[in-house]
Amino acid sequence: MIDALLEGLLLVLQWKAFAFMLLGIGVGFWVGLLPGLGGATTLALMLPFIYAMTPVEGFAFLLGMHSVVATTGDITSVLFGIPGEGTTAATILDGHAMAKKGEAGRALGAVLASSLVGALVGAAALALAIPVVRPLVLTFGSPELFMIAIVGIAFIASLSAQGGRGMLRGFLAGGVGLMVATVGQDPQAGIARYTFDSLYLWNGLDLVPVLIGIFAIPEIVDLIVRGTSIAGDLPRSRLNQGAIEGVKDTFRHFWLTIRCSLIGTFIGIMPGLGGAVAQWLAYGHAAQSARTAEERKGFGRGDVRGVLGPGAANNSKEGGSLIPTVAFGVPGSSSMAILLGGFFLLGLVPGPDMLTTHLAVTFSMVWTIVLANVITVIACFVLLNHLARVTAVRGHFLVPVILVLVFIGSYTTNNHYGDILLMLSFGAVGYLMVAGGWPRAPFVLGLVLGKIVENNLYISVARYDAAWLTRPVVLVLMALAVAAILYPLIQARRSGARSEKHA
Amino acid sequence: MKTRLALVLAIAALAAGLPFGAARSASFEGKTITIVVGFKAGGGYDRVARILARHIPKYLPGNPNVIVQNMPGGNSITAANHVYAVAKPDGLTIGTFNRNLVLAQLTKVRAVRFDQTKFAWVGSAASESTVLAIRSDLPYRTFDDLRKSGKTLIIGATGPGANTYDFPLLLKEFLGVDLKIVSGYSSSADIMLAIERKEVDARAGSYTSLRPFIDRKLVHPVIRARAIETGIEQLPVDEDLAPTPRAKAIMALRSAPEVIGRPYVMPPGTPDDIVNAMREAFDKAIKDPQLMAEAKKGKMELEFMPGGEVLKIVKVVLSQPKDVVDEFSKYVKFGE
Amino acid sequence: MHSKASLILGAGFMLLAGAAVIIAMDWPMKAKLFPLAIGIPVFCMATAEVVWGLLDPAARSEAMEFKLSEQAPGRAGAGRTVRAIVWMVGFLAAIVLLGYPFAIPLLVFLYLKLQGREGWVLSGVFALAVWGVFYVVFDQLLHLPFPAGWILQWLGLA
Repeated sequence: MIDALLEGLLLVLQWKAFAFMLLGIGVGFWVGLLPGLGGATTLALMLPFIYAMTPVEGFAFLLGMHSVVATTGDITSVLFGIPGEGTTAATILDGHAMAKKGEAGRALGAVLASSLVGALVGAAALALAIPVVRPLVLTFGSPELFMIAIVGIAFIASLSAQGGRGMLRGFLAGGVGLMVATVGQDPQAGIARYTFDSLYLWNGLDLVPVLIGIFAIPEIVDLIVRGTSIAGDLPRSRLNQGAIEGVKDTFRHFWLTIRCSLIGTFIGIMPGLGGAVAQWLAYGHAAQSARTAEERKGFGRGDVRGVLGPGAANNSKEGGSLIPTVAFGVPGSSSMAILLGGFFLLGLVPGPDMLTTHLAVTFSMVWTIVLANVITVIACFVLLNHLARVTAVRGHFLVPVILVLVFIGSYTTNNHYGDILLMLSFGAVGYLMVAGGWPRAPFVLGLVLGKIVENNLYISVARYDAAWLTRPVVLVLMALAVAAILYPLIQARRSGARSEKHA
Repeated sequence: MKTRLALVLAIAALAAGLPFGAARSASFEGKTITIVVGFKAGGGYDRVARILARHIPKYLPGNPNVIVQNMPGGNSITAANHVYAVAKPDGLTIGTFNRNLVLAQLTKVRAVRFDQTKFAWVGSAASESTVLAIRSDLPYRTFDDLRKSGKTLIIGATGPGANTYDFPLLLKEFLGVDLKIVSGYSSSADIMLAIERKEVDARAGSYTSLRPFIDRKLVHPVIRARAIETGIEQLPVDEDLAPTPRAKAIMALRSAPEVIGRPYVMPPGTPDDIVNAMREAFDKAIKDPQLMAEAKKGKMELEFMPGGEVLKIVKVVLSQPKDVVDEFSKYVKFGE
Repeated sequence: MHSKASLILGAGFMLLAGAAVIIAMDWPMKAKLFPLAIGIPVFCMATAEVVWGLLDPAARSEAMEFKLSEQAPGRAGAGRTVRAIVWMVGFLAAIVLLGYPFAIPLLVFLYLKLQGREGWVLSGVFALAVWGVFYVVFDQLLHLPFPAGWILQWLGLA
């Protein structure tokens, strides 16, 4: 295996493959940055260009492009409060809050460093998991996937505000998210649910316009109302100092970053969970690491841990989702589905072969992820000060640009005006939630998990009747779900007792 | 006097009318042709459109630019409606959409606002047959083995309206095999994983999508629908085993669109010379050695069926008697 | 603002969940199981939220979220918020009526001129620049389809 590892590295370092990787990085940089361009769509558009390449070159290009998207998407989330990608929305909560406090440099430093750590962990997982990946993935069937989704829903408890009222609102938002996910055709009876005879609603609500609406619109309204730059009236000198501080933060909370990377990798490995889930679970976990009620309140206001968690997870998820794609030919997300097309174009057959005869090619993919992320992070650090300075630009220049990007971004997913209306409608909902102090994360979690919960439940019951409830992994996950709900309650009580003692 | 005036006027009218009577040769010089695809980028229909877009230009007079635009939504009904009513019949728009839209029209799906018989059909770029493939470690080698064993076979499906669901449903209803259809998987690839996990035993689907797994010997096909593709000619055909003419008609109806696997149309009213030029270009492009090499690499197999033949099949489908259509609608719903 | 927004949300969710449950009743079992299993608890929770809000308006829950800035409280803030909404709805109208290529420079120019009170030249140049980037990236490079605006279509210019 070691020789395959080295061989993979040498394959990537050939000058042609390396050049293609740099080209891919260049494209991916902008795709992630601009909210209008989706990573998956651009991958599909790039597929025709790889016909003439050898497998390693083709993958250096595609993966170089794809690995970078999550990192630069985080940058947009931090600087503008707009999700640069569907997978970087969670970074907005604390990242953009930090930008508004004038700590954009620090937030960017943290995001970049944690993205790098996450990518490395994901790549290492891909490399190390190879001997065990097949039995691992095969153990997680539909019952287990259902339970993972339930654990995810239980995390809503951690994502909600504290206190009884907070929990109520959190679970209410989560429940509404689950309901919104049912719009569309159901896979059991074929009924068009809640579509009101509209062709537009037939496939359900698209995630990207909803995310842009619920997160970006309230920020934009606020920006217009304030009339200032993103960083407000804070003195400029503070912007430049932070980047190193942000990197230091990553190491100050090293184990949290690692844990969130592992969460991201794990979710990435599980096919069928989709790309948007990992960041929210990581954010919830990061919120759990707050030790007092005071600390907990700081989340959403600019706690750097709220940036580290999702920043790491959305990069590590990429390495993780390559595993089912390479080992089984089953894509873990829509970008992976397109990458799979790339596999075939390049003459590779995903499956056990990739882990044995073509192991060097698989390792070259691992190295591509590593190198692409390292290069990107270095490039971003060099540009960091310029990027951070955007937050000092006068608001009236930024607002129209942001509006243009946001209105294009929500339109181009399906080329339908309905998506813009959708975005504005959820913008209104998001605004009300922010005004009323309601947490938005549980809603998003409900929305992304809805179909997974429903479908896997049906499959489990149809296939195993009730026997699936006693499978070992299912029981472990059930315990985890219960723990996820109890943990914040116990924490609140303990910190309440502690503050009484000090009083 | 009056007669002479009338004659002069008549000749003048004729002379004025001459340019309109002369034959126009279609030329696309300097123009851009758009192929509107009813699905998102990356899927099967999209990939076929893109490979065609790359090779058609050299076979069209004037060597125009051909680009692809995605218009997903409503399972490609949106794109079909657009090409039918909104796009201009000037030869600059081609549409490709779900092959089953003719069934959507037949079963009077409300969102349908087109008439498949009125499109200017270019043709079909491939035929996409459905097969049922079962896991290789199961003891059934042929469909007959399965039927005789009387055991239950668990089939994974995505949902009604997809061939993963509809094909086994009809097999179960009419051919007397004990199939348990477990529906709800998010994609056909997830079903393959479930097969490896032994959560389900088999899946139905297009031969093209199952090829990599058949080649890998994870599954092997045991029965197919009528459309023929290389590699599955020997398999029994579901219709042939149908016990009654009604059952046969319903199965034939379901699989009729598969011969028109990748439909390509132009807006109704597009001039004939343009349509013919396009048909010729498609035909030659699909036989082009470069395209064939690229298609092979992408595990696609393209084969051209000219628009005239496609239109005949479409008309046959749409002229089915009402009682057949009613019973068909009970089993097969157009959907995702 | 807090309690008003919360009441609107709570009542809104009550209506939503209630309607969803009623619509779902007619469906076959398999299709309605999940919507009902979620919808009924959501309706109860929303009702609890509304009741709690009416009985105890002072109670707030600070979510882990940013708070709308309080720099312009009261009527001035509300006025500016309405303006913001008008800009966004107006942009949508411009996109639908004129199409993206015209709506974009129009929005940029008008916003800089009216809201930002910048000069003619600066506004004009910036609007042109933004339009230029949009044209090159989204139209020329990516061939993304942007339909012509309704007015242009009606005038036959599209």
